[in-house]
Amino acid sequence: MAAPHTPFLNPGKSASSTGDSVLVILEPAKKAEYSIFLAGLEKKGYSVTLRAPKEEQPLVIEDGVPNFSHVMLLASDTKNFAKDINPQSLVQLLSLGTNLVLTLGLKQNLLTSLAPEFSLLLPPPATPLVSFFPERSDSPTVIPIDVSSQSIPNDTFSVLSSQVNGKVWFSGTPFALNSNPLVFPILHAPVESFAADLSDGSGLVSDALADASEKGGEGLWAGSSLAVVAGFQTLIGGGTGHGADAGPGEDQQARAVWVGGASLFTDEFANKKVVEKVVQERGMKVVENPSGNKQAALEIAGWAFQERGVLRIDEVTHHKVNQTGPVEMYTTNDEIVYTIRISSFNPLTKKWEPYSGLKDLQLEFTMLDPHIRTSLPPVSGKPGTYSTTFRAPDRHGVFKFAISHKRKGFTHLHHTLSVPVVPPRHDGYPRFLSAAWPYYAGAISTSVGFLLFCVIYIAGEAKEEKKSKKE
Amino acid sequence: MAPKLSTAQSSSAASSKPTKATPQSPLPSSFSALFKAYTQNTSSRLKFIDAFLVFLMASGILQFVYCVLVTNFPFNAFLAGFSSTVGQFVLTASLRQQVNPENKLEFKEVSHERAFADFVVGSIVLHFFVYNFLG
Repeated sequence: MAAPHTPFLNPGKSASSTGDSVLVILEPAKKAEYSIFLAGLEKKGYSVTLRAPKEEQPLVIEDGVPNFSHVMLLASDTKNFAKDINPQSLVQLLSLGTNLVLTLGLKQNLLTSLAPEFSLLLPPPATPLVSFFPERSDSPTVIPIDVSSQSIPNDTFSVLSSQVNGKVWFSGTPFALNSNPLVFPILHAPVESFAADLSDGSGLVSDALADASEKGGEGLWAGSSLAVVAGFQTLIGGGTGHGADAGPGEDQQARAVWVGGASLFTDEFANKKVVEKVVQERGMKVVENPSGNKQAALEIAGWAFQERGVLRIDEVTHHKVNQTGPVEMYTTNDEIVYTIRISSFNPLTKKWEPYSGLKDLQLEFTMLDPHIRTSLPPVSGKPGTYSTTFRAPDRHGVFKFAISHKRKGFTHLHHTLSVPVVPPRHDGYPRFLSAAWPYYAGAISTSVGFLLFCVIYIAGEAKEEKKSKKE
Repeated sequence: MAPKLSTAQSSSAASSKPTKATPQSPLPSSFSALFKAYTQNTSSRLKFIDAFLVFLMASGILQFVYCVLVTNFPFNAFLAGFSSTVGQFVLTASLRQQVNPENKLEFKEVSHERAFADFVVGSIVLHFFVYNFLG
């Protein structure tokens, strides 16, 4: 059945860095609706297991060990799930290193109560995202979202690559994101869209808008600050190459993706053409483009399944400048070279490859406070190697080399290494300083003076004795 | 020993003269009288010791001025250099006290040879510490 969960072993035959087995929780009747997506997963090498929401087997967690590397909840409209699928078990799955893809429905179920734990703010139940732009024959709740117009901050991994051609069809509920730094939007809602209840006919939408505008926009879920797909990277562990400070078994970071509607993954949307009007010299021309859903669905799931944006620390070394071997302890004011090697998982070759793409990696040398915080630039000519040289502070104590790189969409890199920094030994100080020459001269002249004094004194005594003898 | 004793007696007799003279004479002349009495009545041995004392004092003052005005950075070196002059000064001053014929009564059981040997041993110990500390 399902392969045993193998947290961070050699990657298997799938494109994921953490495992091949996927559990898809889906009504069996709806399996055909997702055939393109599921076939895409299998083509990437995943072994997909289907399970109906109310089916008891296979369990997601058995004897405290997760049965699957990845769990995908596509049954978004199901009200009741089997006993072992509840918010607690989903959070436990994440802490055990299992990746999750969670899809929200319009009805309330366990996921709507779990979403606030991930800092998602959901609109009231049964209020789908609505947009009347661009003009189209479809229902206003079925919205094409332009991927290319999404603005992604520089330090964030762009989950949807440039391979997603065309607009992505979306239908479902949007959500606002709280200020939790671990959650980040993957796909924003269009600017013109808003959340509203359309069940009583489209006439009420304008009423809802009018009411909201009277209240100054309060209570209206609208605009591109809403997200329809969001990613969440757990903090637990360092994923990879964790330092000696990490406990065993806690080296697995998991990812969760929240999708506003499961329909994003369906065949219907994958095959649905995006009708666009293109302005030409002689009037308008209607063009039918394929949608980007097929690629986008695989890339969203691929990010969640830790195919891309996965980093690990391979090796950390440190030594004194002009020396090669590691030292047990450093002396204050030593020049220290710190080098780290970082790899990234390549889902195409299924191998870890050196990664030099991090531009904002920082190293801290801390004793309670960071005494040194310096950038750790990539070394040109050595792929995946980042190195810096810095002077140890004029302070002795137990210091830590600390790397803490947390960027949205990337695996968090965390590594600490303790080294003692000691004051110079009694013979480690500089000697024969030019500034001290007056003191040296003083001491030497005293000694020389003493010797001369003795010689002359004794000579004088001998003379006197001679004199006295003569007398 | 005998001639020494006689010189001591004569010097003490001579030194009583200027002390009598000072209250009557004005200040500059009292200094010159003091200087005169010193040059006349002090044995050459004591003068030689005094010269060494002056040298040590000058060396110590120079080092202290350098420390205050320029740098006290290798502070151990300053302490070593300065204390070598001070220590040597103290030892030499003790030697002067003990070999001064005027103090003969006070140091009855200390011969000149014994005093000089004490001085040498004390100085060697002092210099041993100084060079250890000079760094």
